[in-house]
Amino acid sequence: MTEFAAYTIIGLGLGGIFALAALGIVLIYRATGVLNFAHGAMGMFSTFVAWQVFYGWVHPDWLPGWALTFVAILVGLAFAVIMGLVLELAVFQWVRTRPPVTKAVITIGVLLALQSAASLIWKNNQYHLPIYVAPQTWTFQMAGVPIGANYVVIVVVALGLAFGLAAFLKYTRLGRAMRAVSDDPISASLWAVPVGKVGAVSWMLGSFIAAVAGILITPFINFDTTSLTLIIIDALAAALIGGLVSLPLTVLGGFVLGLLETYPTMWIQSLGFPRLVALLVIIGVLIVRAPRGMPVATR
Amino acid sequence: MILGHPVRLAFAVAAFAALALIPVGFDVGLKFDAALSLIWAFGILSVVLLTSYVGQVSLCQATFAGVGAYAAGMMFNTFHAGYVAGIVVGVLAAFALGLLVGLPALRLRGITLAIVTLAIALVFDKYVFQDHVFDWFTGGSGGWQVDGADLLGLRADSSSHLLAAYEVLLVLFVLAGLLMVNLHQSGAGRRFRAIRDSEVAAATMGVNLTRYKLLAFGLSAAIAGLGGSFYPLVAGSVSPQPFWVFTSLQLSAIAVLMGVRYVPAAALGGFFMAFVPDILTRYGHGSFMGRAYEISYDWFSLALGVLLIAQLILLPDGVWGDLRAHAVKAWAAVRTRTQRQVSAA
Repeated sequence: MTEFAAYTIIGLGLGGIFALAALGIVLIYRATGVLNFAHGAMGMFSTFVAWQVFYGWVHPDWLPGWALTFVAILVGLAFAVIMGLVLELAVFQWVRTRPPVTKAVITIGVLLALQSAASLIWKNNQYHLPIYVAPQTWTFQMAGVPIGANYVVIVVVALGLAFGLAAFLKYTRLGRAMRAVSDDPISASLWAVPVGKVGAVSWMLGSFIAAVAGILITPFINFDTTSLTLIIIDALAAALIGGLVSLPLTVLGGFVLGLLETYPTMWIQSLGFPRLVALLVIIGVLIVRAPRGMPVATR
Repeated sequence: MILGHPVRLAFAVAAFAALALIPVGFDVGLKFDAALSLIWAFGILSVVLLTSYVGQVSLCQATFAGVGAYAAGMMFNTFHAGYVAGIVVGVLAAFALGLLVGLPALRLRGITLAIVTLAIALVFDKYVFQDHVFDWFTGGSGGWQVDGADLLGLRADSSSHLLAAYEVLLVLFVLAGLLMVNLHQSGAGRRFRAIRDSEVAAATMGVNLTRYKLLAFGLSAAIAGLGGSFYPLVAGSVSPQPFWVFTSLQLSAIAVLMGVRYVPAAALGGFFMAFVPDILTRYGHGSFMGRAYEISYDWFSLALGVLLIAQLILLPDGVWGDLRAHAVKAWAAVRTRTQRQVSAA
């Protein structure tokens, strides 16, 4: 029973990461119509920027560890926001009227470029020390199962960001503008919604969320350039559970997928098996949801 | 048709002879590139078939090539079959997997299909090609060695095997390319294009969607698998890395970059994918302005990503497509000018 509970904790932590990554995908997809295959790569790149600040640079001795973590994460997140803006200005504002498949292929170009750039700078397939948001030693007992504080951080951040984003889209002026652009960019522009600015904000916000997910996940995976890039598949699976529109369902999907990928590891010791689970979830969701989800998904 | 005109026929024969003879003078590294370029050209040709003929998106073409390669390796090692049998089984295995992948495609299109195929590529990369459950198929962590394989009497471990594989691949690729061009005008090709333009309209006109979509995926996978099944012969062994998920992404990216609507773009793309990184890494080191530099494979991949983005914004029809359009336009301008001069005289 305690084993089951322990796996549940791990699964929820993993699910929180999937949920976080998927939130960014859904946000960008809703606001700009781009299905962003490069989401994992964007998060990966920002995460490595934070890693570089944390491990790569020389620090003054008087700076305490928590302050260093804080600064590193801040730099990584700031980089993510700038990268989102640059991508919108350099790439995606020019292809706003293209078909969705073309835009998706462009994100594959972004993925390849970011992945190989990171591989050049930080070396591919090499172990990197993770960034711990909460100290690794912080654990507490619940029902006889030790729970690391980093798991709690992930779950709390995922839930908080989901509800925060939902509220942002629903109640703020900018959020309403984003929803208007996602429903119909031409009508929105006729109602004086600045479509270009909304696109830029969506990309900055999406990139920011990708970086949050990337930084939080480093302690729990084999932290190298490819694994973070390839989280995109699990994130897409979670996003598809939410039909690529619903934020709460996306978060729920992330947690469900995290648990589904973790429980089999009780019996099957295989690094690749969770990928099969993700594939089956994707196919299952697409077949079940197809009649309703299709119009959105093929937009 | 291409063979209808004697000048064209002579030109085609001369071009084929040139392509067949040029690699004879290459060193071993470049001969390997020449054979590899045709293997990847088959992969890109399979993208052309699926995307431009039938309008389907797939991000797992390297997986099909990998299945072909592993099946050929397994036939040679486990069943001690001749290499031709290995190629046949490789193509059949890829065809079967293509039919399987086509099943979800019956209900999906566009980006949802891209997600599913990318997930399939990842599953094969991280699970099937690497997990011990599939050791009977992948030969364990070491992969298959095919020392001593012979293709039509040419031994793989002799120094001539790269050239032999290249010539056989070249003949097969030209045949496949001609078949692709013919397919475009055939009944099946017309049904494919009807599906591409509108599935609903195609179904209304009596096109069997299930049969032709599955056929398209099977054919495309078989083309990629045909190229892939030569991989063990050319490289001497099979490992998961050449067929990992990023190769699938690269195949699709290069196909789009070179012009996904054109058969010759596949050859161009294969050349680009095999030769450019090798030449870059071979000659791209030294020092410039007192600073040492070394160009690694990642620079090629980085350039590919940037080129793909630029091409999709600036040259939507791909390198081959847009360059050809420019050439045709220029030629037409020259001809009208000459005609005007002739009539004026």
